[in-house]
Amino acid sequence: MIDFTSTPIILTIILGAVGVILPVINVIKKEKGSSSFYGAITLGALIAAIGFVAYQIIADKVAPAAIFSENVLVDDMFGSFFAITMLIVSIMTTVGSFSYMRGKAHPAVYYSLILLASVGMVLIAYSTDLVMLLVAWELMSIPTYVLAGFMKKDPASNEAALKYFLFGALSSAIIIYGISIAYGLTGSTNIAQVISGFSHLGPDMMPLALLSVAMFIAGFGFKMGLVPFHMWLPDTYEGAPTTISTLLAAGTKKAGFAAALRVIVMGTVALNLEWTFALGIIAIMTMTVGNIAAIMQKNITRMLAYSSIAQAGYILIGLSIAPYSQIGIQAALFHILNHAVMKGAAFIAAAGIITTLAVSHLDKIRGLGKRMPITSIGLVVSLLALAGVPPLNGFWSKLMLFGSAIDAGSVVSWAPYLAIAGVLNSALSLAYYGWMIRKMYFEEGESDKRVKEPKSIIAVMVFSIIFIVAIGVYPDPIIQFTQSAVPSISTVSIAP
Amino acid sequence: MSNELIEFVLVSVALLAIGIYGLAVKRNAIRMLFAIEMIVNAANLNIVAFSRFIPNSQGQTLALFSIAIAAAEVAVGLALIIVAYRMYKNIDIADFRSLKG
Repeated sequence: MIDFTSTPIILTIILGAVGVILPVINVIKKEKGSSSFYGAITLGALIAAIGFVAYQIIADKVAPAAIFSENVLVDDMFGSFFAITMLIVSIMTTVGSFSYMRGKAHPAVYYSLILLASVGMVLIAYSTDLVMLLVAWELMSIPTYVLAGFMKKDPASNEAALKYFLFGALSSAIIIYGISIAYGLTGSTNIAQVISGFSHLGPDMMPLALLSVAMFIAGFGFKMGLVPFHMWLPDTYEGAPTTISTLLAAGTKKAGFAAALRVIVMGTVALNLEWTFALGIIAIMTMTVGNIAAIMQKNITRMLAYSSIAQAGYILIGLSIAPYSQIGIQAALFHILNHAVMKGAAFIAAAGIITTLAVSHLDKIRGLGKRMPITSIGLVVSLLALAGVPPLNGFWSKLMLFGSAIDAGSVVSWAPYLAIAGVLNSALSLAYYGWMIRKMYFEEGESDKRVKEPKSIIAVMVFSIIFIVAIGVYPDPIIQFTQSAVPSISTVSIAP
Repeated sequence: MSNELIEFVLVSVALLAIGIYGLAVKRNAIRMLFAIEMIVNAANLNIVAFSRFIPNSQGQTLALFSIAIAAAEVAVGLALIIVAYRMYKNIDIADFRSLKG
């Protein structure tokens, strides 16, 4: 029995149908429409989708019940939380693309691929079965491979797409191998049954279970940009169209965390292993490498790419201490939502700078505050929020993350070191964010003439400034939302 | 675990090892794609072999899905490689160095 009124099914139908129809419209229509026509349809579909999710949450209709009899998808608050996050990112990407795609070829395909990737990202968060997770993972990945190489006359875009594809395909191959071991050990592909099966394994089979979890960490880690698996990330974010870098940094990376929360964290809770320690080490490595490499960059998008690696390290703190602290996962969810908006705003601002001024080198943005005032303010606010300056939203989520790490210190002795590493790294990151802000406002540029900023970029900037400051001043509703999103994972996954 | 299953799993592990060796040593994009396909097929072999001994149909569903997904992925990957070949006249990824930090 399929319940056609449940959120994941409706979202798939809205987004998937529009995504499939857009290229058909492109073929049928005689005169080739402008790119904003397709952009408007995409935006309409995404807003309808996010409105539906919000309505389901506000009307309290989110019931954690299985949708198919085989328990493939579940309509719970965890999925709804990630759906809202991913759809906000997709909307920001789409609006930012209005100016970026002007005059470029094949707008219908571009927007259609964004919609299909959004379906994949949303379904990852709702899936409770490894087969569904795999299908949703590929539905998210394959459109983004094409999108990264969308500017096919541009060598950088080509190179970015090829590197992204090779590492992405490797990550899915590793995930499939991990799933095959998990299936062989437990005889099921349902995540909850796999985990309860793992916890009843004999000691001779335990190494295989560890191998399976390690393969999941590696596979999801490629998309999350964790440190041993991050080599592709700066190249891809720099070479891909900047709006697509937004989708990758703010969207697909978060989908990796959604999958990791569904599988790895609950697995570590059930297995009661030393994996949390390994995750903690990866978290510290990720944030340190990301921040140190970001300091040395000369290119805006490349610097933002390394900073997004560092932010993945902060989020991983919450995952690694999940079994020991009540608020670990909650803090991670809060930072995931915040980071999606902050990093999305920063990348869209970079896209605006690259489209209007055609520069991406950090030395060329001197005096930007006078030339593009609204974009500059948006960029400054998002950078400060990324660094965790109060009273912006990034401060509260980092406070919760580091607080939960200290809280977990009563159970495991290494947890407070995560908080110390996090605080030191935040201070380090303020160095390069502040350096960039100084260039924009306190250094003389080549000209003071104000250039016309694209309206779509202004719209995204205004939305993100309002979001970042509002959550920073009054974080309570979002904190409650994240709190309601947490228990539904544990009830779904721990249940036999 | 019966002896037959062990044999299948050993072949699968051998394929995995060949795939990882290929990824580590080769720098030709097509060869790397082959290596990745070898890992996927090692996993498929694993799944099919396990599902012979597990009394439900989930494994066979999983194998079918994973074969279909791998095919879609290869189609996109080959398209990207062809576009790159037209631009660089070369598919050696060690020669792609326009992006560096």
